[in-house]
Amino acid sequence: MKREDFIRCPYCESVNLNSDGDIYCRVCKNKIGDEPNRSLSTAWALLITAMIFYIIANTYPILEITKFGHTSGNTIIGGVIALWEEGSYPIAIIIFLASVFVPLLKFILIIYILINSKKRVKGSKKVDQAKLYHITEIIGPWSMVDIFVVAILASVVHMGSVKITAGVGATAFVLMVFFTMLSAMAIDERLIKEDKK
Amino acid sequence: MILQEKINLDDLIICNKCNTLHKKVKLPKGGVARCSECGNIMYRNISEAFAKGVAFSITALILYIVASIFPIIEVSIGGVKNSLTIPQMIYTLFNEGYFVVGAIITTVLVITPLSVILSYLLLAILVKFKIFKSLSRHIISFLIISRDWEMIDIFAISILVALVKLFGYAEVSFGVSFVALILFVIVDIFFLKNIRPIEIWSYFNREYNR
Repeated sequence: MKREDFIRCPYCESVNLNSDGDIYCRVCKNKIGDEPNRSLSTAWALLITAMIFYIIANTYPILEITKFGHTSGNTIIGGVIALWEEGSYPIAIIIFLASVFVPLLKFILIIYILINSKKRVKGSKKVDQAKLYHITEIIGPWSMVDIFVVAILASVVHMGSVKITAGVGATAFVLMVFFTMLSAMAIDERLIKEDKK
Repeated sequence: MILQEKINLDDLIICNKCNTLHKKVKLPKGGVARCSECGNIMYRNISEAFAKGVAFSITALILYIVASIFPIIEVSIGGVKNSLTIPQMIYTLFNEGYFVVGAIITTVLVITPLSVILSYLLLAILVKFKIFKSLSRHIISFLIISRDWEMIDIFAISILVALVKLFGYAEVSFGVSFVALILFVIVDIFFLKNIRPIEIWSYFNREYNR
């Protein structure tokens, strides 16, 4: 029997026999994956939704500061630049990595895996792709750092003269994180193609 | 399919990091099986791994309750004092009309951690008395999904980032809950999230078939 004849259940890690249709795990009875073409379209749809929210999240302010009745918005990039100019380099880098770089990296990795599942990109190996997929799963939730920071600041900074609230960008941003995670979850093992020798 | 009699699927395992297929080997007590391709830990032979999970979920529950009741940090700006607690933070978001942000933060900071802890406890009781086998099956699957959506560890890092942003404008002091929150993250990372799904399932199968 070949490697492709087996598939791993994401819920209980037991090994199952592979087939083209829907598979239900023999141990935990959960559905291992949709029919591959369907999960491919689901993953694309969720990813495109996430990318639209990413654009909105970067255009509109994620944070609004009201000082003496005057309101000013802060976009993600604006916040990073402000921190950099203040000299908080490590925090500027953390926010930049978590909010700008990580989502982009995740989009690129998912697009690469999805394109590869239809038509093989030259020189890529399945092992590498599986590792890439594993990376997308691990780094995904870290994009939430900026949202938590906004929520914390909005919660502790409110008094007569100065007040911080979340902005429209924050809503778009959490939806972006949510849809990217769903998109990554829609990819099952069968979409990560083996190198045909 | 013809070879199914010859190969027992239970003797095989696929690495969750690089998808390499391996044959399971019997491990000595305390032994760890690593993937030959990527070095990822696939399964361990730890005695009472699940029992430890239950014990630590009780610890985690207490820490979580402490961390949500008492203030995590206290901030004073120009004489006005505000303290940060998870419920109050969520209340502020909903109060200001950020329902989507509020709902997602509630999910990742309140619903999922509590589901993980309560699933462990409920599972321990059900398995102990060998009742509701199919319900336990659902609870395990639910537990494994919930773990992926639980973000208390990321929240703890975010507090530190927020402190740096407040530094210079405000006087900040750590509350009682900050310690509880850090301890919760440690228990969570090393015990609750560290128990592999395969270890929970093998415990489940062993206990119900006893």
